[in-house]
Amino acid sequence: MFDQILFILSAVITMGGALAVVFSNNLMHACVYLLASLFGVAGLYATLNADFLAATQLVVYAGGVVILMLFAIMLTGGVQSTVNKFGIVKVPGMGNAKTYSAAGLAAVVISFVLFKILKNAAAMPAKGQMAYESTVEKLGGLLVSDHVLAFELSSILLLGALVGAAVIARPRHIKDDV
Amino acid sequence: MSNTNLDVYMPVIILMILAFVLVGGALLVAKILRPSNPTELKQTEYECGELPVGVAWSNFNVRFYVVSLIFIVFDVEGALMFPLASIYKKYNDAGAGGVVLATFLLFIGILAAGVVYCWRKGDLDWVRSFQTPAKNNQRTQGVVNE
Amino acid sequence: MNNTIVSYFLQFEEFQTVVTKLSEITGANATSLVAFVIFAVAAVVVLGALATVGGLGTYAERKISADLQMRQGPNRVGPYGILQFLADGVKMIMKEDIVPRHADKLTFNIAPLLCMLGVMATFAVLPFSSGFTMTDLDVGVFYLIGVSSLVGVGIFLGGYSSNSKWSMLGGMRGASQIISYEVPVTLSILAIVLLAGGMSFGTIVSAQGAWPHQWFVLHNPFTFIAFIVLFIGVLAETNRAPFDLPEAESELVSGYHTEFTGMRFGFFALAEYMEVFVVCGVVAALFLGGYNVPFGLGEGTFLMEKLHIPAIHAKGVGQLLQVGSFVSKTLALYYVVIWIRWTLPRLRVDHLMTLCWKYLTPIALFNLVGCALWMFFFHGQSIWQLLGHLGGGHGGGH
Repeated sequence: MFDQILFILSAVITMGGALAVVFSNNLMHACVYLLASLFGVAGLYATLNADFLAATQLVVYAGGVVILMLFAIMLTGGVQSTVNKFGIVKVPGMGNAKTYSAAGLAAVVISFVLFKILKNAAAMPAKGQMAYESTVEKLGGLLVSDHVLAFELSSILLLGALVGAAVIARPRHIKDDV
Repeated sequence: MSNTNLDVYMPVIILMILAFVLVGGALLVAKILRPSNPTELKQTEYECGELPVGVAWSNFNVRFYVVSLIFIVFDVEGALMFPLASIYKKYNDAGAGGVVLATFLLFIGILAAGVVYCWRKGDLDWVRSFQTPAKNNQRTQGVVNE
Repeated sequence: MNNTIVSYFLQFEEFQTVVTKLSEITGANATSLVAFVIFAVAAVVVLGALATVGGLGTYAERKISADLQMRQGPNRVGPYGILQFLADGVKMIMKEDIVPRHADKLTFNIAPLLCMLGVMATFAVLPFSSGFTMTDLDVGVFYLIGVSSLVGVGIFLGGYSSNSKWSMLGGMRGASQIISYEVPVTLSILAIVLLAGGMSFGTIVSAQGAWPHQWFVLHNPFTFIAFIVLFIGVLAETNRAPFDLPEAESELVSGYHTEFTGMRFGFFALAEYMEVFVVCGVVAALFLGGYNVPFGLGEGTFLMEKLHIPAIHAKGVGQLLQVGSFVSKTLALYYVVIWIRWTLPRLRVDHLMTLCWKYLTPIALFNLVGCALWMFFFHGQSIWQLLGHLGGGHGGGH
């Protein structure tokens, strides 16, 4: 009973948030809606018994990425109005042949994937209530046995991200000044 | 039984709904009880008694962005280390702690190298001069002399 | 295994008969329904208790600061002025609600809500006692880190939405401070997860004992440093002095909540004081033995065996003692937090970042490695156990 409530609630928040992001004119509001959507995704993970993934979603996305986006928006001066400084309401390049064809291609791919998922879901036998079990220890066990290489490689990826972030934002010294 | 299904998440949902109810309810009660006579001057933003100039939403320094980027790296790192940390004791008690320890130390070591790099290059400094140090000194002295 | 407050009740036969009765009446499995009722009651009780603690926190803050500065503090409303917080609450509700004309209305409304949401969601895993933990999630500490980061978003949006320069500066500072200090806090918590072998508060607390030498804070030198790092970190995360830069009243008027009036401001304040209680509780659970009570009083074994008291009463008394143990440790830390606020001057913003990134983070990383190595070489024994072995070895006994 509660599984269904949790699922429906999470799904509604996820979809509602995602739609609000798309239809919002205000970048800052879109960020808030995105936060709701990410929370909903965490709820969906929780319904799938992936408790650690749900918590990671909260920590990394709700805590980190949303703040990063808010700072990125403030870096560009926030939302002064929906009209940008060139006096253009719409983003330039929106609604020409290129974008329509790209959107059409994306729609085809997405609908194909969706169709596949739905077909599989329909073919799957109805399961009973799944037993709740912790995923953390299994995950930890896999990370030190089967996926140890991936785990270590991810640290190199993170190292690259750390150094890259620092390098990009580093102030350039004025050369001819010395 | 409550500990075999998703009922464990029930309090989270209940508390979040309670938060909505509490905030909404209190604001509603306040709306009924409080006076409301807004005036033009009352609704201006506070700027030390002067009329506010422009909006507050201006370009902010890039260092806030850098801090949050570095934070995300550490955040993901922490998220990856948590499962390892949770199983370490079990493996250690079984005498197989060395594997986890080695994985763990390598992971931390690689990231520590990144931190050391950022530190040496001065990326962890909050205040950084965009000019060379010599010119910067001149400038500050000029300000002081003025 | 997730222990919840419901599974605590379900261990008693009297309670299970009620559930089966209800199931017969409704014709369906009533466990979920009963669980919902218990959770809802527990949630309301905890919210009521913590809101009172938060309210009393404002009173305690003023009274303790008055004490430290040899003043009287609030002393008119009720005995010793203890009802001051109720008077303040009534005042907040009666205040006119002023929304700045150029404010961003949506985020202006959402910001206090996000702060309350982030703090209240953490109540779910707060371990008051072995039975009275609403839900002891397997990812307990990690979940807590995640939901409490909503407060940072709330503070940022509070600063942004007002469209006041002071608020904006406070909000930016607040958010960057909160995320920065989350790094040493997470790393310090990781050290404890290593030692306890699990992220749930139940595992962490039961890995410790009732006496101070069994607490993680005195487990080994690294955990002692981790305790200090975590405590400094949570001070910064809750925007408490000496890290109260987001609302630095001498430079930013009132920081991110400059433009908030009445109940909206009240929620920011309430969220802050409740969050202080929550993080003090977390520190108490992680490092100070949490709800542990000596002599097996907590589990009721002492009372049952020695005094032959029936299980349900013995366990009930045990739970009360555990709650007392947890709350007294937490309130002691709460006192220290207030004490620090009225003792230390505020940091400058670049010092704040230097402290976080150049001192606390490397120290926390070092601690983490130290704890891992300690676990490996001494098989998870505490320094006292090692000393005991040493003494025992010399004495010839064991």
